[in-house]
Amino acid sequence: MKYRLVVRRVKATGGRRFDVFEVEAEPDESVLDVVERVSLQGDRTLTFEHACHHGVCGACGMVINGVERLACITRIGEVARGGVVVVEPLRGFRVVSDLAVDKSRMFGKYRLVTPTTLEKLDSRLDRVEFEKLYDCTECGICYSACPIANTFKDYLGPSLLAIVSRSAEGRVPAVIDSRAGVWACHAAFECSVRCPVDFKPGESIMRLRRRLLKGEVEVEG
Amino acid sequence: MPNVLVVGGGITGVAVAYDLALRGARVTLVERGSLGAGTSGRTHGLLHSGCRYIADVEVARECYTENVILRRIAPFLFEKNGGLFVAISDDDLGYRDFFLKQCDKAGIPVQELSREEALRLEPNLNPGLKAVIRVPDGTFDPLKVILSFAASAKLHSAVIKPFNEVTGFKVEGGRVVSVRILDKTVPREYEVKPDFVVNATGAWADKVARLAGLRVPVKPSPGVMVALDGRIGNMVFNRLNKPGDGDIIVHHRGTSVVGTTSWVVEDPDKVAPPREHIELMIRRGSELAPVVSRLRVKAVYVSSRPLVGEGAASSGREVSRSFAVIDHSREGVENFVSIIGGKFTTARLMAEKLGDFVSERLGIARESSTASTPLAPYWLFFEG
Repeated sequence: MKYRLVVRRVKATGGRRFDVFEVEAEPDESVLDVVERVSLQGDRTLTFEHACHHGVCGACGMVINGVERLACITRIGEVARGGVVVVEPLRGFRVVSDLAVDKSRMFGKYRLVTPTTLEKLDSRLDRVEFEKLYDCTECGICYSACPIANTFKDYLGPSLLAIVSRSAEGRVPAVIDSRAGVWACHAAFECSVRCPVDFKPGESIMRLRRRLLKGEVEVEG
Repeated sequence: MPNVLVVGGGITGVAVAYDLALRGARVTLVERGSLGAGTSGRTHGLLHSGCRYIADVEVARECYTENVILRRIAPFLFEKNGGLFVAISDDDLGYRDFFLKQCDKAGIPVQELSREEALRLEPNLNPGLKAVIRVPDGTFDPLKVILSFAASAKLHSAVIKPFNEVTGFKVEGGRVVSVRILDKTVPREYEVKPDFVVNATGAWADKVARLAGLRVPVKPSPGVMVALDGRIGNMVFNRLNKPGDGDIIVHHRGTSVVGTTSWVVEDPDKVAPPREHIELMIRRGSELAPVVSRLRVKAVYVSSRPLVGEGAASSGREVSRSFAVIDHSREGVENFVSIIGGKFTTARLMAEKLGDFVSERLGIARESSTASTPLAPYWLFFEG
């Protein structure tokens, strides 16, 4: 089937434009596969981030027909409108080039809270200990969808607060209990709606707020 | 200190950049896409215990040693869940004694579990299983491991440049005197003049080497993987038999990946997943865990292994899983080396060996220290 892929282009030399690529694709192909094919066969200067191609690394977040999604797990046939798919970079981040954004606005805050990345799981046998990586893929989609993260640069942001909320064992750094931390959230819950792995950052932030108000979490510093 | 240009931003490239930067070299890494955009980012995410390649004791031992080192230098990157090798058929059961003997030879600690214990641990396994052996497999998010190596390289002054594609080499007097690069973010072409070039582009190594008039005996060997919408187990499920199609299910984060097939192609940029491979993955995966056939397929993807090819191997399973350093001085270009083969799990070791080779050529006296130096967290890649 024929699709019209419209890509928002931004380069370091300045200027913005939309480029249109006519592509042949199966409806169950991912948007990422189609974008990659265009970059290999159409325009080699088309830049975008991608790695795992199955929804666990978070690299390929982009705005697809107005909605933040992971392009690798988005089937083109399910999102095209009249055969047209418009892809744009995530909002709230500096654009490096085309669809690639600089995620230092998110990862740069990690040093303030040094979150753990591993989640301890209940084992089925007493002598077996399991640890898994948190399901949050750190894709930045929640930042792009969040009205506060888009307008308040000091905000720690939804995914980071959610990870800290889940891994905190009764103590959090002072920045969590501050204007830049959980108290900046306006409970829009766009983060939870858009999260591609159902990590529910909004709910985690609200839970952490309640625990702070009840004195169940000690604030360090 | 000499300038080294590393071409390729997969796990091998970033590990090489880190190894050489730690030794004090001035390193620049260029990658045509984003980091991990090629093969490395698309692995199924298995930290090998070595047991999958147990027929070759040396490769298995190498994998296990690296598994232990990686867990030690970056414990935050790996799921510590272990793996199971499961016999479903009588043929599988016939492989058991050989498997245990080889694990013993390779020094890999394994443990046989009872059927009941295995099913208590992993209720989604096929209840008709005939034998189960627990092994020290692990899992990881490939991109985050790549970023951790890249962050560590950056902390030692390496310059990492994604979206920069090598478009040509100028070779004069038996040396690469300059390299032409397309910076796609501008876009514009520019030239650099490195003292040494490392071609760490994996399945693309021959395409890149040809730009300098050289050849690399790499066999791009794609494999299809099917990601399921849901995590069906904690430990890695392997079929207790020699490697074959659809004989592994890797769980990481909230998903499970059934892999993989293997064939050989000429151009790793022109590979699509054959539909029959997807059906095969579901069918074979269901033999290990019947729930596989009832889950929604979240994604299907292909990753091209950079296998070392010599002779007429036509299926990827026939070619070596170990790695090779290709010294192009034999073809008349003295400051150009390629590295192919290996596995994601053994990338640090590959980088150490390549680092030794480059250091000898450039007169760098410092030895590799990547096995004992903790890796930086991946998020530091985005700072500074």
